Amino acid sequence: MFGLPGHGMQLHLDALSILFACILLPQTVAAALAGMRGSIAFWVFVLGMALTLAAGDGFTLIFGFELMSAASWLLVMQGDVKPATFYAGVAIFSGACLIPAIFLPASSLAFVLVALGAGAKAGLAPLHSWLPRAHPAPPAGVSALMSGGMVKIALYVLIRYGFVVLAPAQQPWWGTVLMVAGAASVLVGALRAVLEVDLKTALACSTVEHVGLIAVGLGVALRAKALGDATLTGLGLEAALLCAVAHGLFKPLLFIGAGEVKHATGTLSLNWLGGLMRGMPRLGALMLLGAAGMAALPLGPGFAPEFLLLHAVIQAAAGGGILARIGFSALLAVLGLGAALALAAAVRIIGIGFLGRPRSLHAAAAEDARRGPFIAMALLGALCVPVALLPGLLLGVMTPVIRLLAPDADTPPLTYAPLSLLLLALLAALAAGFIQTRFGVRGLREVPAWHGGFGRPPAWLPFGDPHTQPSGAGFAEPVARVLGRGLLGAQGQDPSEHFLLGPLLRGQRRAVRLAERVRRATIRERLAFVFAALVLFLLALGLGQGG
Amino acid sequence: MSLTFSLAHLMGGIILLCGFLQLSQRRLAAMITLYQSEALVLSAAALWQGFAQHELALYLTGLITFALKGLLLPWGLREIVQRFGMIRAVETALPMAVSMIFGLALIGIAVLVVLPSTEASLSLTREDLAIALSVVLLGLLLMIVRRNALAQIIGFLSMENGLVLAAIGMPGMPFVAEFSVALLVLLAFLVVGVFLLRIREHFDTLDLSGIEQIERRGR
Repeated sequence: MFGLPGHGMQLHLDALSILFACILLPQTVAAALAGMRGSIAFWVFVLGMALTLAAGDGFTLIFGFELMSAASWLLVMQGDVKPATFYAGVAIFSGACLIPAIFLPASSLAFVLVALGAGAKAGLAPLHSWLPRAHPAPPAGVSALMSGGMVKIALYVLIRYGFVVLAPAQQPWWGTVLMVAGAASVLVGALRAVLEVDLKTALACSTVEHVGLIAVGLGVALRAKALGDATLTGLGLEAALLCAVAHGLFKPLLFIGAGEVKHATGTLSLNWLGGLMRGMPRLGALMLLGAAGMAALPLGPGFAPEFLLLHAVIQAAAGGGILARIGFSALLAVLGLGAALALAAAVRIIGIGFLGRPRSLHAAAAEDARRGPFIAMALLGALCVPVALLPGLLLGVMTPVIRLLAPDADTPPLTYAPLSLLLLALLAALAAGFIQTRFGVRGLREVPAWHGGFGRPPAWLPFGDPHTQPSGAGFAEPVARVLGRGLLGAQGQDPSEHFLLGPLLRGQRRAVRLAERVRRATIRERLAFVFAALVLFLLALGLGQGG
Repeated sequence: MSLTFSLAHLMGGIILLCGFLQLSQRRLAAMITLYQSEALVLSAAALWQGFAQHELALYLTGLITFALKGLLLPWGLREIVQRFGMIRAVETALPMAVSMIFGLALIGIAVLVVLPSTEASLSLTREDLAIALSVVLLGLLLMIVRRNALAQIIGFLSMENGLVLAAIGMPGMPFVAEFSVALLVLLAFLVVGVFLLRIREHFDTLDLSGIEQIERRGR
């Protein structure tokens, strides 16, 4: 059909592409249920992603990838024009890096280009600053699929090339590059997820963090594979792939939920939400499940991959040279900080947005989710349960993928069994309940009010106390003071925007000024320019012959 | 044969000298005179080449050059100067000394380029070509270092003289090429003359620096 002349379009499915197709399928169904069924661009977007996964040759892969970029650009444009333009620039940059990389022979240059192209599309630091702008812009279903699916497709390209296609030329430092970029993404993403006031932007920042976690896992595996460490390779890959699966379930769930919050209350600012758990109990419960995954709480879907990842990094820190030990220890610290910040972000979303008292009339009058989005969220939530409770089984299913990526990798059994843990916890809860009903105090007892953390309302507040609760910005203030100002700058600006986009913008301004100067040149100046070029050419000719 | 060489070189040298001297002249009248003498020597060179190569076309070229560039164009230029009352100093964009140093450098470059790259050819052609290239480059330089439109036209015409000089030195150059170049120059002169009238009507001067300022500000 399409394809290079003489080659045609080759399709090929193997374990890796099937795994990513399985990640993609539920969120596509969910996004379609959440109201994107009628959009042609949405289905083209899905088609592009599927084509990338099913590609059997480089051209088909890049064709599908660019189809995905173009369609998602159209979808972002439906939301807002400015982020769409930014996004288009990043997509073009990523295409410009990937297209030469795909036709280069296996070499370090090809890997660097793939890492730049796919990393920019996946939102790896330092090329991540488009993601918190572009992902929240379109309707919720598209945001869900972009955050849960498109980012995974970019990582799929990275995995496919890093582990399979470019394997003959692999170097240990490829993994180091991925780990450094991943650690930076974890730190910046998690920190911004705590600080952002807009719900969807906070979720997009959390996506940056999870992409960073996956990249760290991939980096550990890639480095270990090049060094010939079978156990570490297996652990890193298990962590990365399991994280991709889990993130592909709970992040679309959260995004669709955020869309419903917007539909019900008309705002996404945490400073105007609050108390939604009362008006939207079903949505609140599902969001709680998603937030548990996002925070990597034990018994949630996000815990097992984080556990494996920390396991892998601790094991890596125990061996190797002094530099490697120091580096992995620092990585461990960054991952720990990222996990703590992710927990803070999840607590903030649930605690500020869904608990407490409503901060506006709209939040007070919110009604529960509509039928379609609710079914979509319920589907994703239901799929989260086996991922959360049976990660060992899932890892067993993934073994062929790991064999494909690293043929001699070990797949050590998971030492974390959430199902038995859950049974134990249930037993403990039952026992506690029994003790309480058997020996507890019966009847109600009046106690003086503790105000639940509320201060006394000033007389001039029409709503009374809701505005004396801590707001979204207020909750984040301690983190902003301790870490945010130091890492992100005084205005909470992203360092990537400050150090990457700022100079780019200045360079572009300078180039425009130069172009304008050339455009305004008088005839004499233009003549002089051509003349100087001619003379230089003649000079080069003469000197070349003379010498 | 040696007389052919030395006369051709002598005339080429005079043409180059005229082209170079144009750089040093502030007054339009002097530039026109230099241009006229350049064209006259060029027509003599063409006639001499026609005699040496036994080529009828070169005689024709010489006659056309004599009539067109030796008489008609200088007369037209003087007419413009008279009508516009421009018998005064020409504003230059570069100081005279600097532009003359540039001119010397350009001649050096032309020699540097042409002499090594044409070693296989006849020496007559080689040196003539070096001189012709120098005249072309000097004409271009003249167009750049002057602000006055008329001086720029003289630079353009002088450049075209260099082209003709290269053409007549080359044995076997078709006549139609020279003829069409001459025609083109005449047409260009007419068009530019009309332009000059229009510029004069609008701005009361032929000094283009005012227009440059307007361009800078206005766009």
